[in-house]
Amino acid sequence: MALTPLEAVRSDSTPLASPDAPAAKKIAGRSPSRIAFDRLRADKVAVGCTAIVLFFILVGIFAPLICKIFGVELRETPGAEALNIFTGYALIGPPEHSFTWEAPLGLQPGTGNDLLAEWVYGARTSLEVATIATVTTTIVGVVVGLIAGFARGWLDRIISFILDLFLSFPFLLGALTLAPIIVNRYATDEGKLDRAQFFSLIFVLTFFGWMGLARLVRGEVLSLREREFVQAARIIGVPTRSILFRELLPNLVAPIVVSISLGLPAFVTAEAGLAYLGIGLTSRPSWGQTISRAIPYFQDYWLYLWAPVLGVMLLVLALNLLGDSVRDAFDPKTRR
Amino acid sequence: MLGYIIRRLISAVLVVIMTSMLVFALFFYGPSNPGQALCSGVRCTAERVEQINVALGFNDPVVDQYGTWAKGVFAGRTVDFGGAPIDCPAPCFGVSYQDRIPVTETLSERFPATLSLAIGAAFIFFPLGLLLGVLAARKRGTSIDRGLVGSSLILSSIPYYLVGLMAYLYLVIFWGVAPQPDYNPITENPWKWWTGLLLPWVVLGIWNSTAYARFSRGSMLESLGEDYVRTARAKGLTERKIVVKHALRAAIVPVLTIFGLDFAGLLAGTVFTEYIFGINGIGRTALLAINNQDFPIIAATVLIAAAFVVLANLIVDILYSVVDPRVRLT
Repeated sequence: MALTPLEAVRSDSTPLASPDAPAAKKIAGRSPSRIAFDRLRADKVAVGCTAIVLFFILVGIFAPLICKIFGVELRETPGAEALNIFTGYALIGPPEHSFTWEAPLGLQPGTGNDLLAEWVYGARTSLEVATIATVTTTIVGVVVGLIAGFARGWLDRIISFILDLFLSFPFLLGALTLAPIIVNRYATDEGKLDRAQFFSLIFVLTFFGWMGLARLVRGEVLSLREREFVQAARIIGVPTRSILFRELLPNLVAPIVVSISLGLPAFVTAEAGLAYLGIGLTSRPSWGQTISRAIPYFQDYWLYLWAPVLGVMLLVLALNLLGDSVRDAFDPKTRR
Repeated sequence: MLGYIIRRLISAVLVVIMTSMLVFALFFYGPSNPGQALCSGVRCTAERVEQINVALGFNDPVVDQYGTWAKGVFAGRTVDFGGAPIDCPAPCFGVSYQDRIPVTETLSERFPATLSLAIGAAFIFFPLGLLLGVLAARKRGTSIDRGLVGSSLILSSIPYYLVGLMAYLYLVIFWGVAPQPDYNPITENPWKWWTGLLLPWVVLGIWNSTAYARFSRGSMLESLGEDYVRTARAKGLTERKIVVKHALRAAIVPVLTIFGLDFAGLLAGTVFTEYIFGINGIGRTALLAINNQDFPIIAATVLIAAAFVVLANLIVDILYSVVDPRVRLT
């Protein structure tokens, strides 16, 4: 049963000929993001960190539910009457009594606020601030970077100068100066204080956080704009806005995703750090705030200090390691 | 070359001037009430606050106030807070509302503490980071490498202020194995200066060294793969000579660049360090001034910090253009 040469070729190339064959699926086109995602899924550290981050996200989202399950409430139960009037410590739970389910982390000395509720809501604050700040900095950074890189000329020069200006502005001192000013301006009454603080915190984090991504995007756009597909789009008369967001933006997915995943832990750190210095949020629970309040009690009541400290540490660590894995997944060259 | 340096210098000076304007505008348009901050005592009526505002020119347009302030920086001025006029000689950044002392005096008094802190920490983290990075690069792929990279990644993923705070609480207060951090001028008592700053140095140094270990590892791996390193090996040089004289020399340049560019990070580190360990430096002064709404001090500290960051970037850029002439063209 001799095959003709033509038949022989055909039988060799059957997998290519029929697109449904399993072998064909293996070489099916995969987008760079898809490849990166597959790499990420194979990374054990990334999977573990995702689980930890997910845990915190769930805690944040279901904070009211968790408080209900444990039967604790924020700033209410059980009030100052449950405190030892001599030491200020709670009459139940640590540090003077043994563990109780009524207040698993104990009560705050002096005020009787439940610390589990505070911790759970602290996680919520932390993630809320970090997420919003990441979104705003990403939008500002991408838009500014796209415009600067695409416009070139005088506009690029002005934007680059502003970028340099912001990069040389010392973040911490800047934030410390700026935050109280904004808060004072908008907190005209007690009810507005919370919103003013929240807004000012987001503003400060965005104000000092957009430059890195803007610079990165600008550099990428500078080289991308000379590529054939962009020139072709311009020749056929695609409007500039479409070129920026339809042609260029999809090519910037990798740096943007990496910047987001490394920005989140930075903002969690910054939020808690500013609250620790007393400049962040005071009207809602924040881990940084709890830490600074717990310092005087750390010898007698270590749980008071360690709960928020571990919260910040674990969340930032998991987010950072995840960010590192994301970067490696998008650019395997960085891993040596 | 000269043209490049001049261009960079002009833009650096411009950045510093813009920063000062920005800080000024922030306070002017912000709700801070300097008259209130200055008006001490219980009998502080709205009328008196207003009188103070008028006397010190806080009601003048922001441009005029900035002009007065900027002129003071170069020519000095006298500020009258009611009692005796306070003489504020040439680099005058105003007079503190709180202690009625020229800001320049206060800050130059506090500056050595911050400088000691930053330089001492740099003396720890730069060599340590480089050493660990080179070690990891040399042992690439072994358990030593993985251990070093992993632990540096984990340590640098923990916020600095938590590391500092825990070190202070446990090492100094709980176990008492480290002396209470404190700043003593080196000119007065070098031994006390050394022991007082030892713990802050070590904490700031070790935490910062992790990032440098990773940078220098990457940089070292790159230069170990270069042709000239292979040539050096082929010539039969000792491993020590290959690593130190051939590979490390090339690898150190990018790490130095990062050192210059990361100056702002080091400054933030010293602010937290001063706050946690209770060292009276520029950062702690600024924090206190913010609580007191002491504008002259805040403006001066932000400006000084910005000037240092700009200066560090400038030095890096110029050094880099000497090393790599292509930079000048952009």
